[in-house]
Amino acid sequence: MNDRAMASTEPLLRASGLVKRYAGVVAIEQVSLTLARGEVLGIIGPNGAGKSTLIGLLGGALKVDDGRIEFDGLDVSAWPAAELARRGIGRTWQIPRPFLDMTVHENLLAARYSLHAFEPSAKAHAACDRILDLTGLADAAQLSASELPLMRRKRLEVARALALSPKLLLLDEVGAGLVDAEVGELIELIQAIRTEVEGIIVVEHVLRVVRECCDRLLVINFGRSLAAGPTSEVLASDEVAAVYLGTAHDRKLPLPGKDRGPGLGLAALLAKPSRASEPAPPLLELCDIHAGYGQAIVLKGVNLRMRAGEVVAILGSNGAGKTTLAKVIGGAIQPTAGMLRIDGIDHSQSPAHQIARLGLAQCMEGRRIFATLSVEENLLIAARGVSAAERADRLSHVYSLFPDLKQRRVSGGTLMSGGQQQMLAIGRALMSRPRLVLFDEISLGLAPVMMDRLYLALAELRAAGLTMLIVEQDVERALELADQVHVMEHGRIALSGTADDVRRNPSLKQLYIGGAD
Amino acid sequence: MAAPALSSLRAHVLLLLLGFGLLAAVAPLLSDYPLEIGFRILLLITLAEAWNLLAGYGGLVSLGTACFFGIGAYGFTVLMNFAGLPIGLAMPLAGLGAALLAALVSRAIFRMRGLYFTVGTMALAEATRMFMINYNGLGGATGLFLAQDPPGLFELYMIALALLGLTTALMTLLTRSRFSILLRAVRDDEDAAAQIGVRTFRIKLIVFVVASFLMGMAGALQGLKLGAIEPYGMFGLQWTVNVLAIVIIGGQGLRAGPIVGAIFVVAIGELLADYPALHLALTGLILIVVIRFAPHGLVGLGRRLLDRGRQE
Repeated sequence: MNDRAMASTEPLLRASGLVKRYAGVVAIEQVSLTLARGEVLGIIGPNGAGKSTLIGLLGGALKVDDGRIEFDGLDVSAWPAAELARRGIGRTWQIPRPFLDMTVHENLLAARYSLHAFEPSAKAHAACDRILDLTGLADAAQLSASELPLMRRKRLEVARALALSPKLLLLDEVGAGLVDAEVGELIELIQAIRTEVEGIIVVEHVLRVVRECCDRLLVINFGRSLAAGPTSEVLASDEVAAVYLGTAHDRKLPLPGKDRGPGLGLAALLAKPSRASEPAPPLLELCDIHAGYGQAIVLKGVNLRMRAGEVVAILGSNGAGKTTLAKVIGGAIQPTAGMLRIDGIDHSQSPAHQIARLGLAQCMEGRRIFATLSVEENLLIAARGVSAAERADRLSHVYSLFPDLKQRRVSGGTLMSGGQQQMLAIGRALMSRPRLVLFDEISLGLAPVMMDRLYLALAELRAAGLTMLIVEQDVERALELADQVHVMEHGRIALSGTADDVRRNPSLKQLYIGGAD
Repeated sequence: MAAPALSSLRAHVLLLLLGFGLLAAVAPLLSDYPLEIGFRILLLITLAEAWNLLAGYGGLVSLGTACFFGIGAYGFTVLMNFAGLPIGLAMPLAGLGAALLAALVSRAIFRMRGLYFTVGTMALAEATRMFMINYNGLGGATGLFLAQDPPGLFELYMIALALLGLTTALMTLLTRSRFSILLRAVRDDEDAAAQIGVRTFRIKLIVFVVASFLMGMAGALQGLKLGAIEPYGMFGLQWTVNVLAIVIIGGQGLRAGPIVGAIFVVAIGELLADYPALHLALTGLILIVVIRFAPHGLVGLGRRLLDRGRQE
């Protein structure tokens, strides 16, 4: 009795003086936080500030080097992840890690059986079904987890954590990559979960989620607490705006280079235009492209034309087929019908490396940095077979575009923050001196201030005359940069035009925000 | 959900009982050659099932089969010769010896994951082999003789069948229960499994110990058949490689995989018994082709063709 009375007044979680170092580099330095019962705490900060490390420490995936974590009145600082989970801490992974060889339902059962090994199976199945209903996955219960697209995998992350019946839920960037309508659904989901658990800690870049779900915020920067307090106060603070929010809440600054003025002299990174005959065929042309995965047809007749020097943006909600289109263009999957012409020659059945050799570079979704190579090696690998002087020249141009990379040139490619890794991915695409670069969702999961910097870099490239195809969730940023915009829906291009046309078109909102069904 | 699972389990058990009954019933009718082949197939299936549990279901790709096989053979011979135990007692105890070794090394060997684990188990197998060759207490490089005469082929066949029965029961228990979901979770993503409360070390330890126990028993049976054991043969890499080839050709992580694989490999071995070089080359070629074109082995290939036929 006494214990229980104590427990209800005790905070659910109290962490004090947490320290985590990776081989001498301090990731978290003296961070303290408390979470009262019934509270939702948001943790925000720039990429690389240590947010995911903090989640790792609280969830037990990482060991603390110093400091103390008390959960539910117990000192759990040295507990392994499995024991913390059994005690009631559920976490999601920033990059979803479902058990791919199992069905969605079995993914939840794994959590259920690990805790309640001898529970009657009817009860276990019912509990899982209820959570699948709550998280909107009921229709996918018997699908293999590997068949789920990214956004539903994120839901599965939440569902699997809930299957533990946790007291504390740690949500690591579940909002990244969602369009507006989906962010709305996510907020509803988090509100619904509030009654299921005793406390939630949310790491998030999507400001709407932060604003609408979190009672209090903790801002961390360079591994230290920068500010803490009620959500509205923290978001209004100038200091937070400077390190984190950037121009996200007030995007009036024009991007440089829209007028094609002189930039950083990046022309050296671009392939020289072929001095071909007068009416050159379009650099890239898609005619009635159909493609998909096995039985599922994702693209149902896409037409697209790009001339050298153009900047084209592809918009659309999740599942519209944007990434599949990017894969077709890059040669990662072959279209089942239609033509993919590069310089007027059909390449619809060419493998990826041949398309790359024609000067189409990809900056893939999820960055795909080679973890075992250093930053500089990651860059150089894209520029094989050219003279050493040329290589050095391209390298210096990439470094002038992204000075961060120069500073970190000998460190491992994946040891950098998410934003820096994205810089590396862009730089790597440029190192092959491409004629066209395809950027797939480069702003995914980045802090607003980091998105500003990346888009500034893209504007510089545009000014230098690079042909770019940009696949993007963030409508405003894409419209600002692009000459021509295509909006995709259900595997087709539903709306095309110049950036201004599309911006003014009332059906954009309907198409992009959903409700077009 | 629960009812069909139960009835499919019942059908599974019935099918297995029928199969074992048939294999036992025909044994007295068989001459020496089919008994010999049958014994070899049964022994290899046992080993392959144990390895399939580790690698196919648990993701623990081990190259240490020969180590536990050899420990079983030596343990058995020592228990028979020096303690005078009956076969029925010495064999399970030899298996327990192998399981004990697995438990002892688990702490060190589970620190390694993926390929490192694989290399670690291979190092363990090589280390035990070198030890047995150089340690004179157990006969050194010349090995040991079994003090009593080996039983006849029929008895050996029946013991092998009983051992396979035990193996099958354990496999059914571990791969058709809730345990299998936890095991597959650990195989798919160990960190994510820990984060949902799965005690990953314990799960891995269970399959490692069970598989080693079965491998030890199989080693004991082979020791009993030969009547003489020496380290090069019992700890030889060919046991590890054969078992791996059987499971990959048959189908990893599938129950029928080891059975189909063992029959296939033994059949090829018999057909090409007079051309050992050709046999080796052909097995290698088949492995390459299977890995390239049928990642789930012959059983997976058969299923795929069956599905396609059904659809059309």
